[in-house]
Amino acid sequence: MNAALDPVTLALVQNRLDHISHQMGWVMTRTARSPIFSQSHDFSCFIADARGVLISQADGIPIHTGGGGFAVRAILRDFAGAIAPEDVFLLNDPYTAGGNHLPDWVIARPVFIAGRLVAFACNRAHQADIGGGAAGTYNSAATEIFHEGIRLPVLKLIEAGRTREDLWRLLLLNTRLPEALDGDLRAMIGSTRIGAERLALLVEELGPERAAEFFEGVLAHADRRFQGCIARLAKGVWRSEEPVDSDCFEPIDARIAVTLTVGEAHLIVDFAGTSDQVRGFKNSSIANSTSAVFMALASFFEPDLPKNEGAFRSVDIRLPEGTLVNARPPAPMTMNTVFVAHEIVHAVWKALGQALPERASAGWSKAVHAVTAGLRSDGNRYVMYQWAGAPAGGGVEGRDGFHLIGHLITLGGLTLPNLETYEHLYPVRFRRQELRCDSAGPGRYRGGSGCDYEVEVFTPADYAFRGEGVGSPSSFGAAGGKAGAGGEVTLTLDDGKIIHASKYGVARYGPATYRALSPGGGGYGDPRTRDPSSVLRDVRDGIVSVEAAARDYGVAIAVDGRSVDEARTAALRAT
Amino acid sequence: MNDVPPQLVAPWRVGIDVGGTFTDMVLRDSAGAVRIFKAPSVPADPSQGVLDVLRLAARELDLPLSALLRNCALLVHGSTVATNTILEKKGAKVGMLTTEGFRDSLEIRRGIRENQWDHRAPFPPVLAPRYLRLPVRGRIAADGSELAPLVSEDVAKAGAIFAAEGVESVAICLFNSFLDGKHERQASEALGKTWAGRWTSLSSDIVPIMGEYERGSTAVVNAYIAPKVTSYLAALDEQLRQLGLPRSLLLLQSNGGAVSVDEVANRPVMLVLSGPAAGVGALKGCAASPDDANFISMEIGGTSCDVMVMAKGDVPVTDQLVIEGYHLATPSVEIHTVGAGGGTIAWVDSAGLLHVGPQGAGAWPGPAAYGLGGENPTVTDAQLVLGRLRPGPLAGGAVTLDHGLARGAIETKLAQPLGLSVEDAAAGVIRLLEQNLLHAVERLSIERGHNPIHFTLVAAGGAGPMHGTAVARALGCKRVLLPRAAGAFCAMGMLQSDVRQDYMQVFIAELDKVDRAAFEAGFAELETKAHAALVRQGFADSGTIQRELDLRYEGQQWSLRVALHANLFDPVAIRRSFEAEHQRLFGHIQPGGRLDITALRVVGCGRLDWSPAASRPPQPKPPAPRQRRPVWIDPRHGWQNVPVYDGGDLRPGCKLAGPLLVEERTTTAFVGPNDHLEIDAADDFLVHLGAVA
Repeated sequence: MNAALDPVTLALVQNRLDHISHQMGWVMTRTARSPIFSQSHDFSCFIADARGVLISQADGIPIHTGGGGFAVRAILRDFAGAIAPEDVFLLNDPYTAGGNHLPDWVIARPVFIAGRLVAFACNRAHQADIGGGAAGTYNSAATEIFHEGIRLPVLKLIEAGRTREDLWRLLLLNTRLPEALDGDLRAMIGSTRIGAERLALLVEELGPERAAEFFEGVLAHADRRFQGCIARLAKGVWRSEEPVDSDCFEPIDARIAVTLTVGEAHLIVDFAGTSDQVRGFKNSSIANSTSAVFMALASFFEPDLPKNEGAFRSVDIRLPEGTLVNARPPAPMTMNTVFVAHEIVHAVWKALGQALPERASAGWSKAVHAVTAGLRSDGNRYVMYQWAGAPAGGGVEGRDGFHLIGHLITLGGLTLPNLETYEHLYPVRFRRQELRCDSAGPGRYRGGSGCDYEVEVFTPADYAFRGEGVGSPSSFGAAGGKAGAGGEVTLTLDDGKIIHASKYGVARYGPATYRALSPGGGGYGDPRTRDPSSVLRDVRDGIVSVEAAARDYGVAIAVDGRSVDEARTAALRAT
Repeated sequence: MNDVPPQLVAPWRVGIDVGGTFTDMVLRDSAGAVRIFKAPSVPADPSQGVLDVLRLAARELDLPLSALLRNCALLVHGSTVATNTILEKKGAKVGMLTTEGFRDSLEIRRGIRENQWDHRAPFPPVLAPRYLRLPVRGRIAADGSELAPLVSEDVAKAGAIFAAEGVESVAICLFNSFLDGKHERQASEALGKTWAGRWTSLSSDIVPIMGEYERGSTAVVNAYIAPKVTSYLAALDEQLRQLGLPRSLLLLQSNGGAVSVDEVANRPVMLVLSGPAAGVGALKGCAASPDDANFISMEIGGTSCDVMVMAKGDVPVTDQLVIEGYHLATPSVEIHTVGAGGGTIAWVDSAGLLHVGPQGAGAWPGPAAYGLGGENPTVTDAQLVLGRLRPGPLAGGAVTLDHGLARGAIETKLAQPLGLSVEDAAAGVIRLLEQNLLHAVERLSIERGHNPIHFTLVAAGGAGPMHGTAVARALGCKRVLLPRAAGAFCAMGMLQSDVRQDYMQVFIAELDKVDRAAFEAGFAELETKAHAALVRQGFADSGTIQRELDLRYEGQQWSLRVALHANLFDPVAIRRSFEAEHQRLFGHIQPGGRLDITALRVVGCGRLDWSPAASRPPQPKPPAPRQRRPVWIDPRHGWQNVPVYDGGDLRPGCKLAGPLLVEERTTTAFVGPNDHLEIDAADDFLVHLGAVA
């Protein structure tokens, strides 16, 4: 640490930066139009210093962690010497402008004190629609980025306080939902104004020179925190792979490969050996892959690790060009913040788990939900996400996996709907949302079960399938635990015909019953060391069958079904 | 308060608030004289703390306990027994009946976790295990019609299992029961054939909201706490009645209103926020009139700070409450709580950064200065080192503050690792705590769309008056109110709370095309319930009924609540009120956008008129300070020799210039340089903030 920095002021500056990024988030939630922000929190607010280094991202969706600096550095590169007070920048392109994928637009507002650039207040948010081949930004048929929506290089959206109306009209012309885009962009711009005002106050109080020193102090502290994390890992080289078995069109045999080198105070995360980029829209960008690695590291260690780029200063991420983790244009990539981000997190977790087994996290299963769109009885169109049939979390030391939880890349930050609400909103009737039996990955701490979800859809509808978790198990076991069961999606039509849905694709069907068996999460630790009373509880709860209790856990349940047969259990576990 | 004890004028009113450390009692007599008493809480049996503080009061007032109670026209009680039953996981064995196919929503919890990043933290234990959540056939459709009748054989079968398993309390939450509770009522009846327990909690009866998770979770928590809480309250009431209390005690609910023991017996889940919700009544008492009641309050206790915004006398009541990770849809005043209080621990992380909170030292061992074995430095220790608190007995001698122990903890745990002097480290702790408080207030203000400059900050709780001026200054407020009874703020609020019960019914219709007959019938049903409850509580003629609507633009996820002016249905006026609220909260409106009603609400209110505090004789001239001592002011002013006043010496009209300290019975107030202290007409400390320089 810079010896001249007062430790109390440093702590105050750290808290204040985090508070400012939170404030931007609260303003965003309160003023944005699309429910995607208030409901799914699919945005992040962050602050960068004058060099474009991310110094705070206290709020936001985990898969945005640590990616914001690429956007700000692209601004500094493209507008060197031409950044002025009251400018506001906009960008989204993952290939040229530090974007992660096209739907996430970044608004960045430079902060000046006495004519000197001191910081940027920024907001990255998923737009409701940006043109492209499918409404709602996800075009699973895309084979080029040009099919996915409008590409924006670094643009000055507001120049010295004057909005470029021609540009604004261009943006609204390239969306199916101009009102939502207009409102959400204004909310983003408004939130960065609040952030910039608060940042300016902070820098004025400290003076620009001292502020820069304290910002650097905040980064250095995070670096020291993370070096403490690295010190817990066993030194050496750890390798892992995570399969990628679909290119969104057909089965493929591909993988994310990670070689983790743990040094004294340094980590190298090398993706050499990762498969080439694929035809469908799962390819990742540098910003997104870096974010996924940061998210994997931060979630592996400590939840309160500062989410700034200082925390990862001692981490060297190598992303080979032309692969799934760093595609060349014009590969499509809209899906990447979910898949392959999920696979990247899994691969990094697997490597870390070898270097520090007691901290290992078993894999979370992948979503299978389809999106159903059709007409309500009043003739109005509806779009329904079948995400109440959510996937499961994996086990870690001390806790079983969550039975149903939002995507891994949100760390479960997505709130699942009440079925009563959906029955009220859509022409459907639910039959079931129940935990599955024998689907949870066995372990000392077992995975989550996933669910058996069934709903009647009364009217003809388009089904957009995004069932990455359909088929073979999509979680993994850690430290001796096992993977959970795979997922399955079926549609039963009026005539009794049963359709087995593929992972990706769009199809139209008449009235049908949609059923999803969401996949189970992975288990942590040897299942034969699970506390027999926990196994008994799972059997009583109907999550684990009597047979699986004996087979997977070595626990014999007495004939009354209400107690453990201690003698037989001891015998089973002795073998 | 150390004047000649005023002769009390019967009858009087008593508020008793059970806190983690102390049980507070406030008595106000018919002439408006106020007396405050504090006794240690008895966590194992809170009623003991209640009786202890009553006995203490009787002793100090030189009255027999029976006379104290006999002359008590009203006893309002804030009980932590509901909350503690949840905290300590000491509730009943609960079974649950659900519609077939939907028995797991309680355990799925909509996937909501408190801290997204902390994925290693498990969910709190599910209060009704899956093997006791039993499915029954029968289905209500989304339009409220019956798709399939309830299969009572399924209920009987479940009841037999409950009986065999020793289930003590049953929650019933059937799919779509918010539209029609008949299946739940039938199930409750059928259950009696095979299960002999007496406690059933029907979700459609407790909170008929749309959303099976929150409605079911509320019913389950109610079932979990009902046997213990209801028995406890009935026993306490019975005991007080036998000791002379002329009418049943009232309890403070999460909605900020009081209710009789009988009314709440079947729904004790309404009591979860019992203590802090009394802040509503306390704030009302701070205002000359409701229109002037624009307050942001920070109630700072030992471990946490509760922030509340009151605009024009109104604190928003929502359907969302989370307690220990359990979701409740009970009507609850909106309170934002942060881990910042006197007992909050300061610590240095592995990479050398100073933090304050969120962990606290609790009542035991408490701050290092208590000498009860606590080694971690807390905010209280820092105050002691900085001369703001006086060493020696605190809160009437219940604890003693040891200056050496406070210094030692700050020295070893903070000053040495940070390379600072003990005083600078202590000052850092205070600055970080006050930053936390500021951020908490800013958060609630931003989220509710209020500018704090237009509000008076009220800094209450035992530790509040120490931090009020610093936080108010940082917020840009012009003045801050430090209640004289800050350390018994909630007990004071209980004296000033009205009886209130909230009723709601899901009702979905377009505002401009609503079926008036159905609309009126819905309201009439709710009003009948509200009126009957008011009559039972003695408000046959004096109760008021307020109609409210939940409204949203078509397609929105959340509704806003709008009161009907004079209970009249005037769509134009309703739209105008909605738009004003929407503009304030969200920064925009949709002119002419379709408005949908989502619920009808009725608030039944019985006013418990309270006499304002007696005016004390004005101060002829400023009193002399009792002492001067060196006190650390702030980073700019450093240490100064500061006058210390005894609160009892300061009377209405008295004006003093800061810096100064005022020591009161339940708190110590700090007033900064350039600030001016005025004792207002209500005998509280009003501080006019000066410029920073």
